[in-house]
Amino acid sequence: MIKESDILSSLEPLVSDGSASQEAWKMLSEVGIPQKKSEAYKFTPIQSILEKKVDWSLGSKKIFDPERMYKTEGSHLVFVNGNFDKSLSTIQEDLSYTLEEVQEGKHDPFSLLNTALALKELVINSGTKLPIFIYHFNSAAISSSRIIVKVTTGDSIQIVEKLITDSEHSFTNSYIHFNIEENAFAYHSKVQGYNANTYTHESVFAEVRSNGHFYNNTFSFESGMTRNNLSINLNGENCEGHMYGLFLLDKKSHVDNNTTVDHTKPNSYSNELYKGILDEKSTGVFNGKIYVRQDAQKTNAFQSNNNILLSEDATLHTKPQLEIWADDVKCSHGCTTGQLDEDAIFYLRARGIDQTSAKAMLLQAFASETLEHVKIEEIEREVLGLIDQKLS
Amino acid sequence: MISINNLQASIEDKEILKGINLEVKAGEVHAIMGPNGSGKSTLASVLAGREEYEVTGGTVDYNGEDLLEFDPEERAQKGIFLAFQYPVEIPGVSTTNFMKTAINKVRESRGEKALDAVNFLKLMKEKMKLVDIDQSLLSRSLNEGFSGGEKKRNEIFQMAMLEPKLAILDETDSGLDIDALKIVADGVNKLKSPENATIVVTHYQRLLDYIVPDYVHVLYNGRIVKSGDKSLALELEKKGYDWIKEEVALV
Repeated sequence: MIKESDILSSLEPLVSDGSASQEAWKMLSEVGIPQKKSEAYKFTPIQSILEKKVDWSLGSKKIFDPERMYKTEGSHLVFVNGNFDKSLSTIQEDLSYTLEEVQEGKHDPFSLLNTALALKELVINSGTKLPIFIYHFNSAAISSSRIIVKVTTGDSIQIVEKLITDSEHSFTNSYIHFNIEENAFAYHSKVQGYNANTYTHESVFAEVRSNGHFYNNTFSFESGMTRNNLSINLNGENCEGHMYGLFLLDKKSHVDNNTTVDHTKPNSYSNELYKGILDEKSTGVFNGKIYVRQDAQKTNAFQSNNNILLSEDATLHTKPQLEIWADDVKCSHGCTTGQLDEDAIFYLRARGIDQTSAKAMLLQAFASETLEHVKIEEIEREVLGLIDQKLS
Repeated sequence: MISINNLQASIEDKEILKGINLEVKAGEVHAIMGPNGSGKSTLASVLAGREEYEVTGGTVDYNGEDLLEFDPEERAQKGIFLAFQYPVEIPGVSTTNFMKTAINKVRESRGEKALDAVNFLKLMKEKMKLVDIDQSLLSRSLNEGFSGGEKKRNEIFQMAMLEPKLAILDETDSGLDIDALKIVADGVNKLKSPENATIVVTHYQRLLDYIVPDYVHVLYNGRIVKSGDKSLALELEKKGYDWIKEEVALV
């Protein structure tokens, strides 16, 4: 067992040399890792996970199996333990990217930790026609991948991130930042999970300018602990932010989705839909913040979180949080938590569909809304397949 | 086809069916009538295998097998069809997709090959015509936002697709205007054959103007208290249910 101060001191030798990394480390040393009392991590005891669950002696041994890559045509970028590995990647000719010194990032503790430990940041520029698949293959004690996506005016980009963790008791602390210029679109999907003893903190930031759109779909499955910080800054007029999430959990999995959308200018739109399916002793957390600043008149912001509990031992915490300073806005939020509808199950069975298939059908239907805007069929099939598999 | 013998059933320890006896042969249409709360819908649900109801006594023989042994899906696979009084709305599942799954599950249970997309569409087209239902309705989420008439028509469409041996129509006329009623009844009549049978559960006689029964049974207080031909339905229409209640009270 390692104490928090010991975690930081044991990580100190890993801090990168760059000035941004050094600066971030200094700031992190002052604020520390969020403690139990921390409101933002109330339901996710991240400090005790780092102390008790992560095996800090883990080296990286496993070999990445290219079979686990998606088959869809595009660029396939592999990160091993947080570092971009060109030799394992398949890169389309029209993809423009550079590996750069780490620059200053956001200032929350896990962003700081990422800034401090990342060796390089991969900068991806828009312009490629095909989707970009990014694989995080992590087996070391801690992996700090860092990606900056620049979508220039009028461009559109599609990014899929997939987390693959083979080593038990490893910790992933990834960071991705989207800069979306005027009239630009970014579609971002994440698929995470499959291993009960890995621990993950993923941060996604999007800065959206006028008429820009950002779409995020986050699909979370089995994991020891996953914390997703998704933060969208709608910093222009007529911007759109779309957030879809699905967490399908069993065993003792724990997924915490913490989302923020900040409307700062007039006439922007955000829509958020998170759905949870929780079985066995799993825990789900949804915390959705919507800020509408005083300047952001005529904002439309919608949020909903619907959950189905399949077991009496599953737990769900849901908390919408709206802070509105403008007076001419349309905002709504709602959440529901319940069981599968017995009448619906009987209806399907009465037509000859067996109970397992009937339940799977209803859960697929429940989940399918969160697949909206996922433009890659392979991802859609994978997610629906995982639902099927979890139920049979 | 089906032989119900002294069937008793209860829900949450409340006895609803108190000994039902009914024999339905292939080619026949039986109407079950009765005042509200007499157990009509319970009978329909028990035959379809709804698990909230506990069968506390009696037997149901269905084509030589003990029906009560089977799960709802097995009953459906063996040709029992319940047209629901309140069809359930299921967001995210289209009728088309639902029917494709259902038909192939039924075929699988009979050791038949699954229908491919072409043959499934052909079958759909044919049955859509039969019940005068629109394609756009079938690609929408199952029953979601459907009017009462559309829901019932969708039930009959599903019945046409599944070609049951024994169809049980539970209050199919409730919530229908006369035009919708005619279309639904017309669909049922077209599906009638010497090989299948229909049980029509209804409170009112008016549906029986269009689906003409061979036998009419009156269910009251969990028992069939009177049986007759279609003239019994007309008599009930004219006199209401009170005279039946009085007759029963005298016995």
